[in-house]
Amino acid sequence: MKKSRLPFATLLLVLVFFYLPIGFLVLNSFNNSRYASKWNGFSTRWYERLTERDDLVAALGNSLKIATGASLASMVLGTAAAFALRHRASKLQDAHRLLVAVPLVLPDILMGMSLLLLFISFGLKLSLFTITLAHITFCLSYVALVVQARLQDFDFNAVEAARDLGATKLQAFVKVTLPLLAPGILAGGLLAFTLSIDDYVITYFVKGPGSDTLPTLVYAMIKKSKDLPVINALSSIMLLVTFAVVAVSQRLTRPTPSSI
Amino acid sequence: MNRRRFLASSTFAAAGLSACKPAGSSAGDKKTLNVFTWADYLSDDAKEGFEKAHDCTVVIDTFDSNESMLAKLESGATGYDILVPSSYTVSALKRKGLLQALDHAKLPAIANVDAAYLAKALDPKMEHSVPYMMAPTVLAYLKSKVTSPEDGWSMIGRPDLKGRVTLLDDMREVLGAALKFQGNSINTVDPAQLKAAADLAIQWKGNIAKFENEQWKTGIASGEFFLVHGYAGELILVQDENEDVEVIIPKEGAAFSCDDLCIPASAKEVDLAHAFIDHLTTASVAAENMEWIGYRAPNTAAYAELSEDFRGSPVLFPPDDLFAKCEPISDLDDKLPLWTAEWDRVKSA
Repeated sequence: MKKSRLPFATLLLVLVFFYLPIGFLVLNSFNNSRYASKWNGFSTRWYERLTERDDLVAALGNSLKIATGASLASMVLGTAAAFALRHRASKLQDAHRLLVAVPLVLPDILMGMSLLLLFISFGLKLSLFTITLAHITFCLSYVALVVQARLQDFDFNAVEAARDLGATKLQAFVKVTLPLLAPGILAGGLLAFTLSIDDYVITYFVKGPGSDTLPTLVYAMIKKSKDLPVINALSSIMLLVTFAVVAVSQRLTRPTPSSI
Repeated sequence: MNRRRFLASSTFAAAGLSACKPAGSSAGDKKTLNVFTWADYLSDDAKEGFEKAHDCTVVIDTFDSNESMLAKLESGATGYDILVPSSYTVSALKRKGLLQALDHAKLPAIANVDAAYLAKALDPKMEHSVPYMMAPTVLAYLKSKVTSPEDGWSMIGRPDLKGRVTLLDDMREVLGAALKFQGNSINTVDPAQLKAAADLAIQWKGNIAKFENEQWKTGIASGEFFLVHGYAGELILVQDENEDVEVIIPKEGAAFSCDDLCIPASAKEVDLAHAFIDHLTTASVAAENMEWIGYRAPNTAAYAELSEDFRGSPVLFPPDDLFAKCEPISDLDDKLPLWTAEWDRVKSA
């Protein structure tokens, strides 16, 4: 039978759709011109300028710290929430489910404003800590959602079997429940990480002096900065790192494809 | 079920969180001056010079629009010692009681501030703010595409440029340009003048490609647009790369926007904040800083220390008679609806 060309064509289209803009960005990071619309010769000036921009590197560091903290914390809290929501037992449970889902649909600006007012009324100093708290608030919902989906076709007989065979509750949880749920929790955590690292609106409201993240700094640079193409250089480097990490992790996981 | 484990892990998470201390507070005994400003709006030398002279750390926090900064401060956000909003936002901040009066005894260098500018400034006595940087809103065109250029706002309506012109998508700038063209003030609240300006803007709208706030820079750099309405700081950069671009202040005058230094009512380091304003108004610092940023600091003493190249810019340093026709955009306060009604008419036409 002749193989259909459709899958290949689709793959090609998807690749172009995904990687053409990225390729254009990388190309532009070597553009001597400040403006993407014009090629003015090859240059590494934006990379050189980037090495002098401590503030951008610090902002990237802040973003990574916040995203790591927020995704770890929301993985724990979100999983706990998903467990609590496992049964549709009562009206209270329904209310709980609704409350956990609301941050998914709440407009960012509303959430940013209300969190700012809350932090101020508690007398909290606006800093990386308040940003992380704010990010946990919305990341938690995403993790809970993903883990809940995973729990729906979760076979609790496995846990009961472990208990029958003499495992304590804790042992059963650590040795059976957690490993089975791990892909779901991890997926939720990764989703939380990406959401946290590019959040702008909420972050803007709850950030304080010295806690600019990459998105807030980049947004601010659009207005008056002479150095805007430095962002292209920084993005290209981040892209390279991401590709490297993915490649390494693929190599590491290759011998056990069944684990995913 | 697993409460103990849950508690243990959440304590762990909390400990991890508290390890992320705010960068500004870890400077030991050194004082910290927190500045809320635009990104890349202070030269490294000006910042480091101040840190050395006053043995302190300057922490920059950025905003991307006057409105979002105002919203944040109005909700009660504190921790800032210096703000750098545009003049019309200074008026709004002052009205809402968010600024403190400046102590001129601590600001000897403000004697350097350009008197010709101050005469028109929104806070001419510098009671709450000291002007920092300014730049006019201008027109830029491609010399190779625009034959027999005129030096006024009339260029926007030229039929031979139809579809190759952009105007800013900004009520104050567009109606302001029309008002200037008709010989009126850009801050008028006279309904008849506003109506005439809106009528002209509707005529212009028929000739332009679009109202555009971002792409005008790249658009003129690539030659897609022949005439754009934009901010001088950016257009001078475009001109540096492309000699075909000419930047003019229209002969009828233009709006210029100025960003001012002020101290919020909630500031902790009030003395240090005054010292910072004084530092930035010192002639040599102001001169270095304005060349680094590419805007003009209204500072007469600093003009003498500028490079000839920068001082010679006809856009940042227009002749006195043209400069006299330029105006800062003021805060409209309760007259705003008069303007928005006319602007809505333009946008829906």
